[in-house]
Amino acid sequence: MMAQLTSSERQNIIAIGLAILIGGFTLAILGRNDILGIHALLFVAAGGLAIIVGARNLYKPEPSEDRSQSYYDDPSKVGIFLALIWGIFGMFIGDWIAWLMAFPDMTFSEGWSSFGRLRPSHTTGVIFGFGGNALIATSFHVVQRTSRARLPSQVLPWFVLWGYNLFCLLGVTGYFMGITQSREYAEPEWYADIWLVIVWVSYFGLYIWTLARRKEPHIYVSNWYYMAFILVVAVLHIVNNLAVPLSWGSAKSYSLFSGVQDAMTQWWYGHNAVAFFLTAGFLGMMYYYLPKRAQRPIYSYRMSIISFWGITFFYMWAGSHHLHYTALPHWVQNLGMSFSVMLLVPSWASAGNALMTLNGAWHRVRDDAVLRFMMVAAIFYGLSTFEGSFMAIRPVNSLSHYTDWTVGHVHSGALGWVAMIVFGSFYALVPWLWKRKSMYSARLIEVHFWLALAGTVVYVFALWNAGIIQGLMWRTYNDGGTLAYSFMESVDAMRPYYVARGIGGLLFLTGTILCLYNVWMTTRMATETDTESVDQSVATLQPAE
Amino acid sequence: MFKTHYKLERNSVALALGIIVVSGIGGLVEIAPLFTIDETVEETQDMRTYTPLELMGRNIYISEGCYACHSQMVRTLRNEVERYGPYSLAVESKYDHPHLWGSKRTGPDLARVGAKYSDAWHVAHLINPRDVVPTSIMPKYGWLAKTPLEMKDLSLHLKAQQRVGVPYTDEQVENATADAYAQATPESAGQDGVLERYGEATNVRAFDGDPKTVTQMDALVAYLQIIGQLTQVPYADNNSEKKGE
Amino acid sequence: MDFDHNTLVAFSKSYGLFYLMGMSVVVLLYAFWPNNRDRFDAAANSIIESEDKPCQ
Repeated sequence: MMAQLTSSERQNIIAIGLAILIGGFTLAILGRNDILGIHALLFVAAGGLAIIVGARNLYKPEPSEDRSQSYYDDPSKVGIFLALIWGIFGMFIGDWIAWLMAFPDMTFSEGWSSFGRLRPSHTTGVIFGFGGNALIATSFHVVQRTSRARLPSQVLPWFVLWGYNLFCLLGVTGYFMGITQSREYAEPEWYADIWLVIVWVSYFGLYIWTLARRKEPHIYVSNWYYMAFILVVAVLHIVNNLAVPLSWGSAKSYSLFSGVQDAMTQWWYGHNAVAFFLTAGFLGMMYYYLPKRAQRPIYSYRMSIISFWGITFFYMWAGSHHLHYTALPHWVQNLGMSFSVMLLVPSWASAGNALMTLNGAWHRVRDDAVLRFMMVAAIFYGLSTFEGSFMAIRPVNSLSHYTDWTVGHVHSGALGWVAMIVFGSFYALVPWLWKRKSMYSARLIEVHFWLALAGTVVYVFALWNAGIIQGLMWRTYNDGGTLAYSFMESVDAMRPYYVARGIGGLLFLTGTILCLYNVWMTTRMATETDTESVDQSVATLQPAE
Repeated sequence: MFKTHYKLERNSVALALGIIVVSGIGGLVEIAPLFTIDETVEETQDMRTYTPLELMGRNIYISEGCYACHSQMVRTLRNEVERYGPYSLAVESKYDHPHLWGSKRTGPDLARVGAKYSDAWHVAHLINPRDVVPTSIMPKYGWLAKTPLEMKDLSLHLKAQQRVGVPYTDEQVENATADAYAQATPESAGQDGVLERYGEATNVRAFDGDPKTVTQMDALVAYLQIIGQLTQVPYADNNSEKKGE
Repeated sequence: MDFDHNTLVAFSKSYGLFYLMGMSVVVLLYAFWPNNRDRFDAAANSIIESEDKPCQ
């Protein structure tokens, strides 16, 4: 990890570590009478770790070969492992709390392990830990290849990667201690949020700096998506997290906005986190790894551009569909509904584009589980965007909102689309990065594929049923004109579906563990012996054979 | 060389700006009008702020992630109004930093839960929900009754609330800790102060049944009992017209 | 007041639509502009070729 760095770069790492250490120490002193004092020690530990790693390697030999002759892939390699480890953590917590909904006493009696604190750990673990690290790792890989330029800095990528993981860790450890803003998918408190802004600005700087060094005037479309992901998430994050802390020494803050404005800001963020974190970034991934793996150019490059602007444009208006029939003004609800329906056009254009790219290579999809992961991802992307537009229609929403249907919808996107495209991309990418002939085991990929697919289908079907039954029970009337079911009757009716959901989640988690094992074993295999370009040999690879 | 480089860079900067502009306008158009929405939020005379004890209870509600399973937003649908009570008005969450409208009802909506059950019911229910509701799947919150409420920096809490626009008076800020203590300790010297500063209707009780110590349970139950009760406007008979059109 | 809630809402409702239409026209023109065709084709094909080395 440090072998590729010159000694001045190692000194920079020590300097950055020192800055984090001092910052963390200051925060710990300011917050000595508060829980912040303990939490800030994470900054101290992170800074200290950077200093130790930098110092221990300071006098080791400098890189001998000309670094400009190769891409800088070490951060991507580490990022892949971090993504999978976070994925297993987040999915484990997710499955645990899934079982808690059927058997509520399956936990410890301390506060940290209660449902309300575990739930944000699950969402942060999978969205930011798993998804975010996968995006960072692949974006570094893609931007270098498509720009044909090496990352311009050796230190900045590490700062972005580890800094980002420090943010995730601050989030998750905070929830266990009861530190949360209660803003869904933006729970970490003000100091973690400020830290993420610093990291994110560095990420943007690094990305645009690499693009500026590219050799072609045209920027490949994947980078557009990654760039939209980076930029818009920054805007969303800053606006949604505006808050006033009690003092510089307190972990607690109060949001700047209240009531209806706050709800709108929160769901403007929440929905666009889906758009720009969970969609745009992963579409960038798809537009690179799918054509590359299939060895066919994207079906319609034009369509990818049109849908890019469609997604960038339409999504921003759609957030208010989370607040139908609430105290939010009607025109904002209608605006959100209309744009949510229109969103179907660019969404299906993207999904169709991906599937049409595979048209003519179906025999390879049949034989290659990696390509199949990507195909299923595109299908689930199409399905869940259709479902999303459907659920944004007000009368449909009156039934679906507040029920498990929403949760099922989210997971059809998160498991079926996001996680599947990540697994497909990782399985394609890992042999290229480590210069191995193929993954360690094609059979394990096959097993993983079926576990993931079965898990997703079981999960989604269970919650479709659960949600629709719940929604109907809440609105069913007796002949006498009174409500037919008590709320508890609707809770009791959920039990079998909650159990099924727990099983689906367990299948999916098992698949992810296999993935980590497979990746780990691949990195321990011998390097490919022949010196010809790895990418070419991968092109003819048929893992299922 | 420099020229082509400059042009390349211009492309990527243009792309970045394009993304910001295109995505930004949607957000602005949708959100900007909400900041003048006070003009459309209903007028109320009787809306009061949370007492320091209720505010701390609200913070516990946030910390424990209650919002993940309970909404606080009755929609304008007949079945919801009949199940829970009058639909929620924008004004009711005017002082809610942050809002807790929620997005999921694993448990029932809580917008109208205030004053619906007794304190003792809430305490028993929070300690073990299945003692009161046999098939409930809610977690147990037994530690709340054993954990004393942290009250020393309550003035800071109210001051921060003042900064984000909640109309706490300086007198309320100064007396925050004393008021929190007095509200959970009936017949104490500070009781009159609480009623004077937050209104005669303020609940002053040993919410957890134990007047000796002020626990997290006191605060949470005090908060649960005031949800939907900060103003009586939603319950007025003439409140049938739709809002916000 | 001149710049009140209703003005803002009216502006959002009307110009929001013009913006939507203008935006679509610009994007479609860019995507289908004949001169851009070669560039797009080149980009789509460029990632398939594999040279695992930065361009010098």
